[in-house]
Amino acid sequence: MPLETPVRIVRELTERGYNAEQAAVTLIASAERPGQALEQVVEHVDDTTLRITAGDVRAALDGSRASTSDGDAVTADGDAPDQLSGDTENATKNEIQNSTGGDTPNATGSLETGASSTDASEGAPDSTDPSASTGESDSNRVTTADNTEEDSAREAGDSAPEAEGDASAANATDADDIQRSQAVGRGRGDGAQGRSDAERDRGDGDRRRSAGDAPASRTVDPSLRSLEVAGDVTGQSTGTGEYGDFVKVFRDRYEKLSKQLRGRVNHRPATAIQSMSGGNDAAMIGLVNDIRSTKSGHWLVELEDTTGTFPCLVMKDRGFAELVDELLLDECIAVEGTLSDDAGIMFVDSMHFPDVPRTYSPNTADRHVQAALVSDVHVGSQEFEADAWTRFADWLHTEEAERVEYLLIAGDMVEGVGVYPDQDEELDIVDIYEQYEAFSEHLKDVPGDMEILMIPGNHDAVRLAEPQPGFDENLREIMSAHDARITGNPSLVTVEGVKILMYHGVSLDEVIAELPEGKASYDDPHKAMYQLLKKRHVAPQFGGKTRLAPEEKDYLVMEEVPDVFHTGHVHKLGWGKYHDVLAVNSGCWQAQTDFQKSVNIDPDVGYAPILDLDTLDMTVRKFV
Amino acid sequence: MRDDDERYFERIESRLDEAFERAERAKGMGYDPEPEVEIPVAKDMADRVENILGIAGVAERVRELEGEMSREEAALELVTDFVEGTVGDYEGRAGKIEGAVRTAVALLTEGVVAAPIEGIDRVEILENDDGTEFVNVYYAGPIRSAGGTAQALSVLVADYARSLLGIDEYDARTVETERYAEEISLYDKETGLQYSPKDKETKFIADHMPIMLDGEATGDEEVSGFRDLERVDTNSARGGMCLVLAEGIALKAPKIQRYTRGLDEVDWPWLQDLIDGTIGKSDAEAEAADAESAPDEADEESAADTESEDGGSENDGGEEAPDNADEPAGPPRLDPSTKFLRDLIAGRPVFGHPSAEGGFRLRYGRARNHGFATAGVHPATMHLVDDFLATGTQIKTERPGKAAGVIPVDSIEGPTVRLANGDVRRIDDPAEALEVRNGVEKIIDLGEYLVNFGEFVENNHPLAPASYVYEWWVQDFAAAGAPVQALEDDPAVDLEHPTPAEAEQWATEHDCPLHPDYTYLWHDVSVEQFEELADAVADGRLVPRASDGGVADADGPAGGPAASGNAAIEDRAVLELANAEPIAETLERLLVEHTQSGETIRVPEWRLLVRSLGFAVDGAESGSVDDDTVARPRLDRTWGPSDLSPAAREWDDGESAIRAANEVAPFEIRERAPTRIGNRMGRPEKSESRDLSPAVHTLFPIGEAGGSQRDVGEAARGRDEQGRRGVVDVRVGDRVCPDCDAHTYRTTCPDCGAHTEPHYECEECGQVIEPDDSGRVHCDRCDRDVTSPDWFSIDVGEEYRRALETVGERESAYEILKGVKGLTSADKTPEPMEKGVLRAKNGVTSFKDGTVRYDMTDLPVTAVRPSELDVTAADFRELGYQTDIDGEPLEFDDQLVELKVQDIVLSDGAAEHMLKTADFVDDLLEQYYGLPPFYEVDEREDLVGELVFGMAPHTSAAVVGRVVGFTSAAVGYAHPYFHAAKRRNCDGDEDCVMLLMDGLLNFSKQYLPDKRGGQMDAPLVMSSRIDPSEIDDEAHNMDIVRQYPREFYEATLELDDPEAVEDLIQLGEDTLGTDEEYRGFDHTHDTSDIALGPDLSAYKTLGSMMDKMDAQLALSRKLRAVDETDVAERVIEYHFLPDLIGNLRAFSRQETRCLDCGEKYRRMPLTGDCRECGGRVNLTVHQGSVNKYMDTAIHVAEEFGCREYTKQRLEVLEKSLESVFENDKNKQSGFADFM
Repeated sequence: MPLETPVRIVRELTERGYNAEQAAVTLIASAERPGQALEQVVEHVDDTTLRITAGDVRAALDGSRASTSDGDAVTADGDAPDQLSGDTENATKNEIQNSTGGDTPNATGSLETGASSTDASEGAPDSTDPSASTGESDSNRVTTADNTEEDSAREAGDSAPEAEGDASAANATDADDIQRSQAVGRGRGDGAQGRSDAERDRGDGDRRRSAGDAPASRTVDPSLRSLEVAGDVTGQSTGTGEYGDFVKVFRDRYEKLSKQLRGRVNHRPATAIQSMSGGNDAAMIGLVNDIRSTKSGHWLVELEDTTGTFPCLVMKDRGFAELVDELLLDECIAVEGTLSDDAGIMFVDSMHFPDVPRTYSPNTADRHVQAALVSDVHVGSQEFEADAWTRFADWLHTEEAERVEYLLIAGDMVEGVGVYPDQDEELDIVDIYEQYEAFSEHLKDVPGDMEILMIPGNHDAVRLAEPQPGFDENLREIMSAHDARITGNPSLVTVEGVKILMYHGVSLDEVIAELPEGKASYDDPHKAMYQLLKKRHVAPQFGGKTRLAPEEKDYLVMEEVPDVFHTGHVHKLGWGKYHDVLAVNSGCWQAQTDFQKSVNIDPDVGYAPILDLDTLDMTVRKFV
Repeated sequence: MRDDDERYFERIESRLDEAFERAERAKGMGYDPEPEVEIPVAKDMADRVENILGIAGVAERVRELEGEMSREEAALELVTDFVEGTVGDYEGRAGKIEGAVRTAVALLTEGVVAAPIEGIDRVEILENDDGTEFVNVYYAGPIRSAGGTAQALSVLVADYARSLLGIDEYDARTVETERYAEEISLYDKETGLQYSPKDKETKFIADHMPIMLDGEATGDEEVSGFRDLERVDTNSARGGMCLVLAEGIALKAPKIQRYTRGLDEVDWPWLQDLIDGTIGKSDAEAEAADAESAPDEADEESAADTESEDGGSENDGGEEAPDNADEPAGPPRLDPSTKFLRDLIAGRPVFGHPSAEGGFRLRYGRARNHGFATAGVHPATMHLVDDFLATGTQIKTERPGKAAGVIPVDSIEGPTVRLANGDVRRIDDPAEALEVRNGVEKIIDLGEYLVNFGEFVENNHPLAPASYVYEWWVQDFAAAGAPVQALEDDPAVDLEHPTPAEAEQWATEHDCPLHPDYTYLWHDVSVEQFEELADAVADGRLVPRASDGGVADADGPAGGPAASGNAAIEDRAVLELANAEPIAETLERLLVEHTQSGETIRVPEWRLLVRSLGFAVDGAESGSVDDDTVARPRLDRTWGPSDLSPAAREWDDGESAIRAANEVAPFEIRERAPTRIGNRMGRPEKSESRDLSPAVHTLFPIGEAGGSQRDVGEAARGRDEQGRRGVVDVRVGDRVCPDCDAHTYRTTCPDCGAHTEPHYECEECGQVIEPDDSGRVHCDRCDRDVTSPDWFSIDVGEEYRRALETVGERESAYEILKGVKGLTSADKTPEPMEKGVLRAKNGVTSFKDGTVRYDMTDLPVTAVRPSELDVTAADFRELGYQTDIDGEPLEFDDQLVELKVQDIVLSDGAAEHMLKTADFVDDLLEQYYGLPPFYEVDEREDLVGELVFGMAPHTSAAVVGRVVGFTSAAVGYAHPYFHAAKRRNCDGDEDCVMLLMDGLLNFSKQYLPDKRGGQMDAPLVMSSRIDPSEIDDEAHNMDIVRQYPREFYEATLELDDPEAVEDLIQLGEDTLGTDEEYRGFDHTHDTSDIALGPDLSAYKTLGSMMDKMDAQLALSRKLRAVDETDVAERVIEYHFLPDLIGNLRAFSRQETRCLDCGEKYRRMPLTGDCRECGGRVNLTVHQGSVNKYMDTAIHVAEEFGCREYTKQRLEVLEKSLESVFENDKNKQSGFADFM
């Protein structure tokens, strides 16, 4: 791998556990063969050194003659992807689907995803492969390259935590598949630049676990990557908390969502309907302003558009009446029906949601590449599971995780301060900045070549009201490791063509509280996410638990249909597909807190869903 | 009852009768909703119970039973009467049970509180799953005011009635049991319970409860599981039910068991499990509970040790006590409690951290304006804490109770301060306090804090070690064989404040501890400091007094003629020590007054200080020193470092030098201030008229026509949408004239002038219904309740003109006449507008029930001086007072007189308000009813002897009181029994007074709001005389003696429970039922005036919250007993942060409101403008209200060195505020940007 840019040199050094002076990096970059120079420097410096200085570099390079050359040290790395794009395509063509999320470790035993993903992949050449490889929690530490297959197969059975009975059966039959998938994974070390040799030689495992005993090196080519962010409020927050700002937000919501519904009904503005005569057919698109049950058990839904409101009656005996249970205030819906004789009310015949089209066909990446979706790390909490995180980071260094090139974190990096009363008594790290420093240290454990993106959550030191802007300069500096991307909550992140909607998930609490248990619950957080997809809005209800900061537009609307919807917050693992959109709530890295115990929430700790960006299949790995 | 008391009550009652007669005449004219006075007089509790319930025959039966049995037993006995139908007129079984339950609650609450009418909604008979019937009692929130015992007993009564009626037991479904558990934890979380039963306990009770407990929803928060149950019609917490189950049944199980045992029909064997505490606790916890009694015993043992030891040291003086292992290593102390500091808010200062040195020193005793949840503070202290304390200010206190009302007592020691020039002085005079206040650098000690013994009894709080004070010493002195009586009679001797020579002589000659005046706080200095000071004294010298800076001249006792020549010389010398900070600090901690001048510290009162430090003062051998002409005594140190025993050095880990001092001093020294009491300000005192918001002159509805001011004049002139002038459409009660059948909303027939009655016509069938006995109006044909209100178009202009004309007033007689928007009462009877006109004219406003009220903080007083009440001895004699407290004839204005139980003292503000009310009443009688005036007052002295109603919130019974004088303090002083009769204590509670005639004339039940709690705070009945047995028994725990015995003080050192010494001190309860029950309320401490100190707390005189907080923090820096960082931290944590966080949260999910029509919107309308009127809509929470404390909070956190955690929380919040309220692209530029 070419080490032509300072950024990559820093990454490489970080991965090996070193920090470096800017001058030192420049020196390495300006060496004739930076890669070699770096190896020399690493060999030269003392094992206990943490920070490589320019002096170290000069000392290391003195013997091997490195002439300081001119300014081409800082090459434009923008060119790199283009040069190598051909390779990328080749690689993806050879891709074989190597695992699916079929046999999930999900506590509820939900098999939905497995089924749907199997369905989805039926057309693919190797679709006979229904396997799951889950829970190799320790494989990265105990196995060597030679016995990876066997060990991991065995451990898949041993440690798949909730699969229990089925697990052993699945285990036996899946063994082959896993072997193969591993083999394939290992066989794809094509673009490698011989870095692996160098890495093996390091032997400085004691300094940084990540560099530890990992027998195989990651062979990634950052030039193949692409990551774009849309709908990020960071730096764009123009609201000043005026009444007009609020009106603007809700109007924007109405505009954007009504657009989704306009083709489906022949709607009229509320004022027009108000002046229609009784008995006529009518249709209206509006934000839900009020929901009341009438004495006789029917539902009165008041809809509001930019002209006014109109009451719509949903009779309890209508087939779609149960949809009223799913309604949240301030979401946008369309109704069709007949006006009453006095034209004072509309009897609803049908109800429409903006929704994800049933025909929606998600985008995929052009090559086999994976993204790890995690959230709710909660560094600083006494309950933060550092060991699980370390295992996760270690695993990312293994060959098996070689294709995991993206790490997307959906908020709550740290436990924060003042989130609830007397929180200081339960903090491991009381200082908020030290919490972020500790988080940054933990982030350094993951391979330096990964692309990392994070959004804030409700524990983070940004405003609580949504949309939340990304971390400020001060915190960005603290979390500079790996040059992570920091964006707002929510953000639509396009990763090699796959649109991933990142949202922390505070509104899930409200959806779960408001909707009937069957439609949304903490045990099936993805079902609550389906509701949000259906409403095409991440936090519709105003005035309840979710807080809104008024901006010039409604950042919380899902204007585009995402391919993947990733949230956290409720500390429960759950995923599934809704109209072919993958919804993932990714658990947490914080063991059960006293508060959670008191309300009987049993969090899913230490899971990392791994998403295949080329197939949108998902494997969940457990690290506890 | 003594004749004297009988005469007193007859006097009151005759004036009451006079007023009643006049009021009946006025009411009889039919101008009011009812043609008679609506506040019945209750002579005793039985009367009140009957009146409050409105069940005829109850009173008689109660009186019959009262003589024979306890009130609880009577309540159960009455069940039989209800079931058999001998009492009450109930047809159905449910009605009978309801009547019995209500009566029981009324009986147990002495017929004063509203719980029996408001707290029990109804009783139903429902069906179990097996088809059998069970009883459901439906409680409401106001059952709270009944208290746990009455709540629990109400259940028992219902069950007893159930069994007598042969109804089956309630069989709870599993979901219902679970629901009880969930609901009670929810309620506990939301509202809080005194006792929070564990889930298992709740389920256990629910499972065994033979009747169903149900109730109406009291909160918005809903349960998450067990919703939508068939037999529970709400998903919210049912507050009344939760209270009854948790604070009633669960908490009072032992009390109920006492009564179930006596009833054959009722058997609740499961109570035993509750009492044993085996439900809902793991075995370990149960064991722990068992084990709890063990330490208590251990305590007693160790206390006994202390006693024997004390005895020992008294006997052998200098001899070492044997060093045995059981000996305690420190003095007896109670553990500090931080509870009172919770929820500290900005602007209300902390006066002392828990048990902190420099805080208030506990002194036992009861001043004449004291007892019943009050705390005596020296008036100089009140001034020195920057006037934050005033008479009546509530403080939250460390012990013995939770809160207390502050009263001024100047017979206790004042505060000690260090002035800017380094001088340390004790300030015993409020005037001096005001003089030096600006120069005070540190308040070293807050002075004494008087708490009466009864407080400890009431709170069942272990006695805290007593300060060594004069009243204890003098008993020790007498016990030591001294001729106390002779000395007392000797005009040359001041026993309470002797000269140093006398004190030394008494201490050494009579084996009696050193006099408290010269007992310094040796327990507050360490042994190390003690030795340091001794060294400093050894190096110091005596110098002539002239050079002492004058302090001693001002404060030092004048040498008595009895003092020897030597002593006279000594008195002219002062002790001079080298000035060093540690020495000065030690002297400060000891509370030794001294002056500083650069190089030296001078102690004017040094003799017993150096004696206590183990120096001999040898005057005889002294020659002349230096060039001074006066012979001065020499100080000889009598001990060296090795002379201190290990026991003395290790006592209290070396932190207390009291034993060291006792070892080296030639006399015994007691602990001067072993108990310090921390406290902080609670509510400020109150004395202001009670106005509705906006204020109301007349309960006459004018809709929206009067604008936001509800201006009747404006409504009379305005035009409505149809162009009609002065006409408004409002809902008022339809009334009918019995004579000519005319329909009107007025109380008199417009045609014939007869009194009209509400007209109930069933909307559905048109039938006219008469109310039944219980006042319910029900159409049996249509099975619906019928109400009288209907829409009327009222010509307000016409009404207004007519009213003015009737009373002969012009509109110019007042500024504005304010009406109400609509009526909230069941029958919506409007008040005659004439009354409003006269109220407006006299500058008084009406409460919701038609009365004029004035609120005051309650304070007790048992003896008064006519002079301090701004009245004369002659006035008092006219009121029936003949002698002072010592039985001497009452001749002089400053004689101390024992107050009678129903006599009250009005604050200046109240007096002024009552004068206006009296004028209003007189105008009303003359100009409206055409009767002679009743009061005819010109100045406030005319109010003396007049009767008022005292009435507390949450109660429904007024108590008749008599005005005897006035005070400048902003409080309502009255006999503690008067407050107790209203069910108040004096810990900062406030309630109101009404002028008697105003209540009689203007109160009507028909004005009371038709909603839960509407009957509370309304005088549904009045007590004309107080029966001490029928008042809140808290008042019975007040001690009424002139001196506490020596044994009591000694018991405090053993941290005894108050019961241990209860027999030694007479309490109010000891005289109940005797002839003495109305008199003999003696006190241990006098105060020169009951209104000393500032009239108003600084909290009320300071303007903005910021000013208050600045003052609070400035004070916290000045007080030695206060940790200012902790105060700042708490203010931020409990006030600023919750405010900021709460407002920010509120901002991001706020409602909006139309500025023009007031319409509220849950969310901003998409139209932008108001959907109703097209007007401008705006936010209800603005940026300004969100971040108003931000800068201050950050500033305070910086200045007071708050924790990094707190600062960071503020930092994060500040960024959030910026993020929400600032445009990223157009950042607010600061001043610096322009430089």
